[in-house]
Amino acid sequence: MKFREIVDSPCGIRYLFDGLELQSGYARKVLLDREMMTDAAQIDAAYARLRKYFDLVLADRRRVEDMRFRLQGLRDISGTLASLADGATLDEIEFFEIKHMAMLAESLDMGEDMDAVIAILDPDGLKIGTFYLYDSYSVELRRLRDAVEQDPDDSQLQEDLANEEDRLKKAISDKLRPYAASLRKTLRDMAELDISLAMAVQMQVEGLTIPSSGAETVITGMFHPGVRAALKAKGRDFQRVDFSFRRGVPATVIGANMGGKTVALKTLCMIQYLWQFGFGLPVDSAVMTPFDDIRFCIGDEQDEKTGLSSFAAEMQRIDQAIAVVETGIRVLLLVDEPARTTNPVEGTALVAALLERFSGKPELALVMTTHYTVEHAGVCWRVRGLVPGTKGRTMDYRLVQTTSHEVPHEALNIARELGIDARWIDLADTIMKQQYE
Amino acid sequence: MPFVGEILKHRSVSIVGLAKNAGKTECLNYIIKRLPLDYFSVAVTSIGIDGETTDQVTGTAKPEITVREGMFFATSEKHFRQKRPLSELYDVGDEDTALGRIVTAKALQEGKVLLSGPSSAVALKRWMRSLKDFGIDLILVDGALSRLSTASPAVSEAMVLSTGAAYSANIRELVGKTAFVVELIRLPLYVGAEPSVRVSSFSSLDAATLKGRRVVEVEGALTDRLLQLAKNALDEDGLELVVGDFTKVFCSQELYRAFVRRGGRISVRMKSELLAVCVNPKAPNGIVLDSDLLCRELSEKIGLPVYDIVKNDYEI
Repeated sequence: MKFREIVDSPCGIRYLFDGLELQSGYARKVLLDREMMTDAAQIDAAYARLRKYFDLVLADRRRVEDMRFRLQGLRDISGTLASLADGATLDEIEFFEIKHMAMLAESLDMGEDMDAVIAILDPDGLKIGTFYLYDSYSVELRRLRDAVEQDPDDSQLQEDLANEEDRLKKAISDKLRPYAASLRKTLRDMAELDISLAMAVQMQVEGLTIPSSGAETVITGMFHPGVRAALKAKGRDFQRVDFSFRRGVPATVIGANMGGKTVALKTLCMIQYLWQFGFGLPVDSAVMTPFDDIRFCIGDEQDEKTGLSSFAAEMQRIDQAIAVVETGIRVLLLVDEPARTTNPVEGTALVAALLERFSGKPELALVMTTHYTVEHAGVCWRVRGLVPGTKGRTMDYRLVQTTSHEVPHEALNIARELGIDARWIDLADTIMKQQYE
Repeated sequence: MPFVGEILKHRSVSIVGLAKNAGKTECLNYIIKRLPLDYFSVAVTSIGIDGETTDQVTGTAKPEITVREGMFFATSEKHFRQKRPLSELYDVGDEDTALGRIVTAKALQEGKVLLSGPSSAVALKRWMRSLKDFGIDLILVDGALSRLSTASPAVSEAMVLSTGAAYSANIRELVGKTAFVVELIRLPLYVGAEPSVRVSSFSSLDAATLKGRRVVEVEGALTDRLLQLAKNALDEDGLELVVGDFTKVFCSQELYRAFVRRGGRISVRMKSELLAVCVNPKAPNGIVLDSDLLCRELSEKIGLPVYDIVKNDYEI
């Protein structure tokens, strides 16, 4: 799975992507085309590199800014380098691109053979980043140019000059060809440097951290950067939340309306993606475990645009997830309030059955929020909810493990605090009490 | 040396034609020929597709731009590959246009080029900024077919206007239409307190919004519709419309005159300097106007020298 495919995931990862100050369009393209890592050792190695750049950001910001300034000159010349590798004869524009890239790499102390490449494209040793077919490439070139200048209308001379230029272009291309692979690697490395520096700077700006890997996921103090920014604009803070889960043990999250269940689920999804794409994480600390596939089932506006009812869209999304789980690969499945749009009798049955359907799947980590009371063998988390003694005005968004799977009845209290029509809510209270009696 | 001395006082000058074949390219070549390049570094480009060997619209022959040794120029990859004198490459841009990326090079000898520079005013501005490392003293911009936006003071400091029989084949009408554009270019700068009302031509508006106002800021274009509303809202205290610059005024001469006659005013936030007006008395359909009469009449009307640079090959 490429980053491009999940950048607009409803978990809100785009906020951090947009906040990444990449210096070149090419680095942006490389990042969007990056494949999700699924091997813990590979991810750990990526973070070891990121840590090195993060340390550099802290220790020597000036040097980092100098490197980033240079990286603004990075261009995507992969097409030119592919032509070179394929045996094509390049022209002046392409020679210029290669020289420009090689000099950029040299100024960043990157790449092997850059000296040799520059020597080919800078025959006079001028050490400047411009290019043309220099007179010094051949005595004949110089002679013909002088002759054409003396007699601009002599078409034979012009043709001879064009032929000599073509001969030289081929000769220069042949000389550069052995370095094609090295140039391609250096180009790619510079894009990776741009990405790593941007990620390291973002870690400092957003207060992100580097996690470790382990057999199960244990997160302390997670936050959603996009939601935090929106709250900050309103003068409010984001309350950090702890959470943990592991494969083979389903987890449900219950709690009051407006208790942050959906935000918690979005944050979990985002953190998992961020980790497997090598970003700093919005957590105090975390132990993470990799998955081959990450599925986030949440209703979104797209459903309405495609004309599907929210129930149909949701059922199809979960159906696809079931098919993926059945393949036996490691799946993180995050489901936000399944069957919430249908009646509570069938809804509860659907949720209970879904948990049953997913039981005995050792490679599946399931986290599901719900408003229905459903008993299951996994772990149940509850939003702490309204803080007693604050007249219901303060919500404690933290999640705690609970043995009771009974969903809390706080909807009416919250509705009262929202100032909803009192007669309506009182009536609901009465009806509810009658039902329970 | 008409007006070239004036050009050297500015860092960026656009050459804008009021119509295709209004003589803009001759005007640009005339300027380039007379620039003192030994102590002055100059870059030239055009906005969008221009500098074609034949005019894409009418099929008439169109001169190419001649760059001189030491001059910088920017054109698309396609046109750079097609034709140029020996040139040293300085930059290959990042943005792709229909004709490839924009290439910036320095001519190492005199020769003809096909200019097809950045395709929008924003991209043009970005290119102009990218030149800062090359020590350029003056940037000349060849504005494309009726794209006055190139002449916006937000892009270039000063402008040279070229007009001619291609714009109108009747001298009186040509003078009148050109003089109107000149009048807009010379709209006064707004002086006064920040206007309390901002309107846009494309929002729903009614005369009541404007009624009784003295100064109204116009966001974006000033269209006939908005000007008509403003005219209807005019009372004895007058009304001043403040627009960004003259390129944002898109209204008919008749309505503009009626608005001003009734005591209305239009002023601008940014002003560009008009350095000269050049005329081309020949139209692509064969019509040739009396050059001397045209220059004289237009000059009298706008109070600025008017040149037919093709007929009178002015001495340096």
